[in-house]
Amino acid sequence: MAAVIGWRKKDFWWQSPVVFLEDPAAAHRLVWDPFTVYSPVKFLLEWQASCAAKVGIFVKGCDSRGINRLLQDKRLERERVVVYGVPCGGKADAEKIRASFPAKGIKDVTLLGEQLVLTVGDREVRVAAEAYLLDKCLTCRHPNPVVYDKLLWEEVLPRQRADESRFARVQAVASLATEERFFYWQRQFERCIRCFACRNTCPACNCRVCIFDQAEPRWLGKANDPADTLNYHIIRAFHVAGRCFECGECERICPAGVPLQELNRKLIKDINEAYGDYEAGLDATDQPPLGTYRGEDPAGFDES
Amino acid sequence: MKKVAKTKLAELFSAMAAWGKLYVPAVSDGIVNFVPWQEGLTVALTALNVLVPPKKFFFPQTETVLSYEMGEDLQLEDFACRAGERAILFAARPCDVASFAMMDKVYLDEPLDEAYRRRRENTTVIALGCSEPDEACFCRSFDIDATKAPGADVLAIDIGQELVLVAQTEKGERLISVLNGLLSEATSGDENRVKDEQEKNEGRYVTSVNLRGMMEKLDGMFAADYWEQLYKRCIGCGTCTFLCPTCHCFDLQEYAAGRRGERIRCWDACMFADFTQMAGGHNPRPSQKERVRQRFMHKLNYFPHQHGDYACVGCGRCVRKCPVNLDILEVIQEVGGAVDGL
Amino acid sequence: MPVVNERFEPLIVAFCCNWCSYAGADLAGISRMSYASNVRIIRVPCSSRVNPGFIIRAFQRGADGVLVAGCHPGDCHYHSGNFFTRRRLTVLKQMIEYLGIEPQRFQVRWISGSEGAKFAMVMNSVAEEIRLLGPNRKLRDVR
Repeated sequence: MAAVIGWRKKDFWWQSPVVFLEDPAAAHRLVWDPFTVYSPVKFLLEWQASCAAKVGIFVKGCDSRGINRLLQDKRLERERVVVYGVPCGGKADAEKIRASFPAKGIKDVTLLGEQLVLTVGDREVRVAAEAYLLDKCLTCRHPNPVVYDKLLWEEVLPRQRADESRFARVQAVASLATEERFFYWQRQFERCIRCFACRNTCPACNCRVCIFDQAEPRWLGKANDPADTLNYHIIRAFHVAGRCFECGECERICPAGVPLQELNRKLIKDINEAYGDYEAGLDATDQPPLGTYRGEDPAGFDES
Repeated sequence: MKKVAKTKLAELFSAMAAWGKLYVPAVSDGIVNFVPWQEGLTVALTALNVLVPPKKFFFPQTETVLSYEMGEDLQLEDFACRAGERAILFAARPCDVASFAMMDKVYLDEPLDEAYRRRRENTTVIALGCSEPDEACFCRSFDIDATKAPGADVLAIDIGQELVLVAQTEKGERLISVLNGLLSEATSGDENRVKDEQEKNEGRYVTSVNLRGMMEKLDGMFAADYWEQLYKRCIGCGTCTFLCPTCHCFDLQEYAAGRRGERIRCWDACMFADFTQMAGGHNPRPSQKERVRQRFMHKLNYFPHQHGDYACVGCGRCVRKCPVNLDILEVIQEVGGAVDGL
Repeated sequence: MPVVNERFEPLIVAFCCNWCSYAGADLAGISRMSYASNVRIIRVPCSSRVNPGFIIRAFQRGADGVLVAGCHPGDCHYHSGNFFTRRRLTVLKQMIEYLGIEPQRFQVRWISGSEGAKFAMVMNSVAEEIRLLGPNRKLRDVR
């Protein structure tokens, strides 16, 4: 292996960015803590495009489904990657912690089973972890890696109630009247700054050239106006329909707090209801639901 | 020096809104942004930095530069002369106010940007001093005092139950005189509290960086291996550039519909692959490495060479918002100056 | 916006499969059936050729309604194109409704080459539905 991709600690207690380690002697820099959230998986694309050597990668449950995503999309050479699976009990939400503790005084945050242990100033505080986990982790159905070469430790139990809350927000918005739904989504998209972080972080968004980056023909105006922003969000969500594996990173890293996962889950819910339950990224050899069909499929329009 | 009780702010806002278009920070779905004030809106007085920096009031993310229509003759309309309605920006933080001076160096220099100039001239900026910088705030390192904002027209300081207002320019005095009926004279006690706030400021930061020699050091670093290591985790989104109060690059786009059309200016980001893409297909910054290098070289080397100041005000937006924690604190720390207090 | 006698005349873009619906339009024409003149037909090789981007783009650039018309399931000239269309456009339709767009604005219908009368009837009924809804403002590019 020429390198391993994992996480390291940075300046602040809430920063555990991805790191590319080439020197085995620097292995002590690798960390696993409540903030090792960002998925290292998409970096494999550039790695494999630019380097023939093998690479090692650490993956959580959600990240591992990204590996399957890339395999299924024929964008990854599996034999050139060594996958270290890390069963994950959920990651902490720095904003939730910040709301309850003085951020400047926090020295360290650790997850111990179902407890979050914070060092604030010189005192140690223990709280139930659940209240401080990322929303996306509370609805996680696959905390254990689904594809790996080596599993780092024993598997953990999936969170109870993850299923109940999975489509709660989708249902809440779907129950609104048409006009209310429109204004709800306008309010969300209005905050979009068009940074494309949601697309760039998504392992399902792995086209060699994204249509949004094409200058000729230009599918998406560069000006940030409401119609174009809506266009962007419709096409982005649709492009990952049946392929989104619910890692929720698009929503978590959105600087403007646009509930993108809610849009992805709307599509997942509709696909499940019409064409049978399907979870992307669990099996790299199956057929995503929009890439196949059955003669007796129901339609959402007048077929007479 | 004037003051106003916080309980009377709604009346003050109402009077300001009657005088010009008033923008205030407000929370929507957990995100703080400047929005037009309206009756009943809760103003986010304690929020530090709004998400999208107030540079957008002078340099909007999207603006029409001109429009045309082909009839018998070509009809052209220049939009610059329409820009700049009378506006008030309330509660801009001192770091953001300091960024205006940097934008001025770009847009008020030759060739002068008329739309920008009109917006600057017609906007009265009320700065609000920060009483509690957070751990990602490092404006002090750029000689910005979070309780002072020399570039603002009016400085507001929170002294507990009241806001003290100090006019710092003619524009500011004009606004204060319009609002005079709602304000009262600050007492010497109030003045002492303001002084007290300003003295305490220094000790409230937990993060500071040492910029000594940064620009000179980067002079020789264009071809350094450092960038090779740094760029790898950058995902090439526009979060840092769009949220940066000093980033000022734009793109011009044509929107044509039949015989009419518009030319639009919109923010662009050096992190995007198509930022330097040429029509013929060549891209002088072919990988993310060149793009990341460009961003930090521009902030810490090219801009200070050209204009004398680092193009950063230490607002901490990139530190808080970068999805992969690749921010200017890291670069300053690794290239030269130490980051203290972390 | 074309306004005739104060009556709103919608602009409807119909993506028609070359092998069936477009032939259906032809049959309506040679049979001298009249149908709403609001419809602008874009011929596509198969209904599955219609990228969702085409639909959104049509709305952005001024369409008040969009119709995708293809062969009846089982009749695809390319064997199975319209089965993919059925899944894709069902999902797309439900999503844009979820985003607050009126469901009538975007429709999908199966019309064969022998259904000239059906073609005319569908065009008339879509035109009438969109007329009642009024102009598309939600998806339209403001410029």
